[in-house]
Amino acid sequence: MRSLVRAAWRTFEISTRLRVVSPWAYLNWLVFPIIFATIGLFVLTSSGYARVAYGVLGGGIIGFWSVTYLDGGNSIQEERWNGTLEQIFAVPTPLFVIVIGKILGSLLLGLLAFIPTVALAYFGFHAALPGLDPFRFAISLGILTFSFFVLAVALTPLFAISRSAFTVVNGLELGVYWLCGFMFPVSQLPEWLQPISYALSPTWAARALYASASTSPSGDITSWWLAALGLSTLYLVASVVLYRFVEVRARVTGQLALT
Amino acid sequence: MTQAVGAFARSTWLQYVALFQWATPLGFFAYMIALPVTQIVFFVQLGVFATGPGNALYFALGNSMQLQANSGIFGVIATVSNERQYGTLPLLLASPANRLLTFMSRSVVNVLNGIVSVVFALGITALIYGLDLRAANLPLLGLCIIVISMTTAGLGLLFGSLGLVMRDSIIVANVVYYGLLILCGVNFPVSRLPGAMQVVAYSLPLTRGVMAAREAVAGAAFGHVAGLLAGELLVGAVYAGLGYALFRLLESWARRGGLQEAF
Repeated sequence: MRSLVRAAWRTFEISTRLRVVSPWAYLNWLVFPIIFATIGLFVLTSSGYARVAYGVLGGGIIGFWSVTYLDGGNSIQEERWNGTLEQIFAVPTPLFVIVIGKILGSLLLGLLAFIPTVALAYFGFHAALPGLDPFRFAISLGILTFSFFVLAVALTPLFAISRSAFTVVNGLELGVYWLCGFMFPVSQLPEWLQPISYALSPTWAARALYASASTSPSGDITSWWLAALGLSTLYLVASVVLYRFVEVRARVTGQLALT
Repeated sequence: MTQAVGAFARSTWLQYVALFQWATPLGFFAYMIALPVTQIVFFVQLGVFATGPGNALYFALGNSMQLQANSGIFGVIATVSNERQYGTLPLLLASPANRLLTFMSRSVVNVLNGIVSVVFALGITALIYGLDLRAANLPLLGLCIIVISMTTAGLGLLFGSLGLVMRDSIIVANVVYYGLLILCGVNFPVSRLPGAMQVVAYSLPLTRGVMAAREAVAGAAFGHVAGLLAGELLVGAVYAGLGYALFRLLESWARRGGLQEAF
């Protein structure tokens, strides 16, 4: 057990160091959140400040997600380009331990995305979160972090078995933003799309986060926390099957660098 | 002359099929179908949430036009940055090929791609949000689409040149592409921007093109938007010219510093 923790820690340490010097990481945690927050704040303040929380926090959530999932998954893609993906599969350390280390590094950087967006909202648009409940907000942010972590860990093996995974995920990125209600409530979406949203744990976590920053929260925030945690647990269970499939497939086909 | 045209045609085709991530069915689905649909839905729903359903078409039309920059910016910049990534940039720079032909061939297919993507985006908009083009001046709207496609490719040529000396020029593509969403009146009028940013907005392609397209959809005549389209073309030509000059400048810089092999 101790050796696994040490391996995860080392992966975290190295991937964090690599991200500090990677322009991509800065694009995801600094530039993208600012761009989306700017658009969101311009659009959301065009008819008053009633919905401004979605502009203040929305850019941060988008940046947080982008770093966690895209950057985490892309780090596997980079292993392929650098010729080290086979070694990762060949070492005795299980793949999920290495992925966990990488994703933890992404989470740490992703949390930074809230700093530039909140600063932009405050200094650029004089927008703040007057109805913020610090206790509920902290729990909601923790659950959002956990749901991002689990989803990223569960889906990252897809990047290992297909070099097209990044391309597809990148193209669908904006879809995640609206399916999960990162910058507006999912109730805005057509009714036939909403069941898909409700099957995604970040939807409930984002909903709880916005409710904890609202002056007049409606709904049962505790049940949203539980929904996010419950769905995340389901993803974890499903990921066990996915990891086994990926590890076996990689060894059987021997095409890890080619797929 | 025939040889030059042949080289141009081959270069155009090969750079398209060999260097684009969307040259695979999955990549094509991701960048040419999924991205337009998800972008339009995201910004239209955001706009509807903020301002009400009556403004859905404002956001849908603006984003449909901006999607041409996907080909014009990403496509053109990626052709140079992918040469570096796949290790073929030194070969390109060592070849005796005519630089102007090589340079222009990088934008031709992107112009066509951009036109296809905006037609697709408008179709999606009509399907999901009921964009009504019955009162629109369709030939004029078509002209706006062609003009925007060329001018965004001009901007792409300028930033694509940076790929000769930069390892991660595709990051620049991301910043420029999404920056256009803020600056060019795609999701809110340019007049809402601070004064200095309005100056930047009007010095970029797309701003006047989007304004002209909105007028065309409202049924305006050609004479009403001729000034906007002329301005749009001028801005695009300036960026393309600057891009070619920068390409030649950075090419010799890359040779001297051996930068074309840095990866």
